[in-house]
Amino acid sequence: MTIRVPEEVKDQPPRRADALSELQHTLARAGELLRSLEKSPGASKDTQLQQRLVELEDDRNQLSKQLSDYEAQTGRLMNLYVATYQLHSTLDPGEVQSTIAEIATNLIGAEQFALLFWKGDSGECEIAHAQGLEEAGSGLYENGRYSGGDPAIDATLSDGVLRIGPIDGSDVVAVVPLSVQGAVVGALVIHKLFEHKAMLRADDRDLLDLLAAHAASALFAARVYSATDRKLKTLESLIQLVKRG
Amino acid sequence: MPPRKVLIVDDSKLLHRMFEMMLRQYPLVHAYDGREGLVRLGENSDIDLVLLDVNMPHMNGIEVLTAMKADPRFANIPVVLITTEGSEEQTDRGLALGASAYVKKPFRNEELLAVVQRLTAGAPAAT
Repeated sequence: MTIRVPEEVKDQPPRRADALSELQHTLARAGELLRSLEKSPGASKDTQLQQRLVELEDDRNQLSKQLSDYEAQTGRLMNLYVATYQLHSTLDPGEVQSTIAEIATNLIGAEQFALLFWKGDSGECEIAHAQGLEEAGSGLYENGRYSGGDPAIDATLSDGVLRIGPIDGSDVVAVVPLSVQGAVVGALVIHKLFEHKAMLRADDRDLLDLLAAHAASALFAARVYSATDRKLKTLESLIQLVKRG
Repeated sequence: MPPRKVLIVDDSKLLHRMFEMMLRQYPLVHAYDGREGLVRLGENSDIDLVLLDVNMPHMNGIEVLTAMKADPRFANIPVVLITTEGSEEQTDRGLALGASAYVKKPFRNEELLAVVQRLTAGAPAAT
């Protein structure tokens, strides 16, 4: 398309000349667009639309995946929050132990496990809580105690490092160190997961780390509170007796 | 239509706390064993869904489900069994007794939420 501008434009007053000049430019641009449309066949438009559709589908899939990732991340954070909340929500040692067991069973999927704590300087660990051990352990635990013998458990009780199986010479699934102020006071030993849970997942590692950091301190605080409370009540009883006497 | 009310019957305080976080848009009723679950059902005539743990003291989830299905007041309330038992036999047994769905512990939060949303579909969520 050719745009012809009348010669009179040059003779117009400035404002009108500007307007005509702009109109000339617009018409020229429209002509260019028209030419480009005339050049591109209908099939090309379809191709462009299809390409745009593919791009939109890609965007949608990407957003869907991101949403799924965010939901999974939210779930993981929720598990960690609830586990921490429950561990520190009570000063009853029995309840803290139950919470550790519930985390192991309900959030990690442990079917057989033992919660061990060093028993003074005896070189033995006492079993504070156990589940399904009658079927597991293969003689590791006797009379409610662990005296050593499993390389993974012994190593974790010694160096405080979280170990996840398979481990040479050991059948355990995981050994979680339980530490208070940097000192290893015990371990959570997971011997078997539920059948429908084939292996520990990446997000289970977060929970195991959380247990390593919080379980022992929560239990330690509860035991100290319980012992102090018991002593206080004994003293109060004695004072009452003295007052009566 | 009022928001759906969900009864949670589980002996784990941890899971009750978890459900509170996950199901914030639903009014919840809590019970910590099977017997208490049936009592709460009797007290709340507007329960729309029951999340029922299988392994519980006093009265297990299968017994509660059986009792619910035998009682015309509760027979039509959808029940989601939640359990650590992973065998097909257990699953089939629960479904044969009338459970609407079966979720194995440990579950992914989004998995359970999807089941709850499916079974309470059609009702507005609380705000």
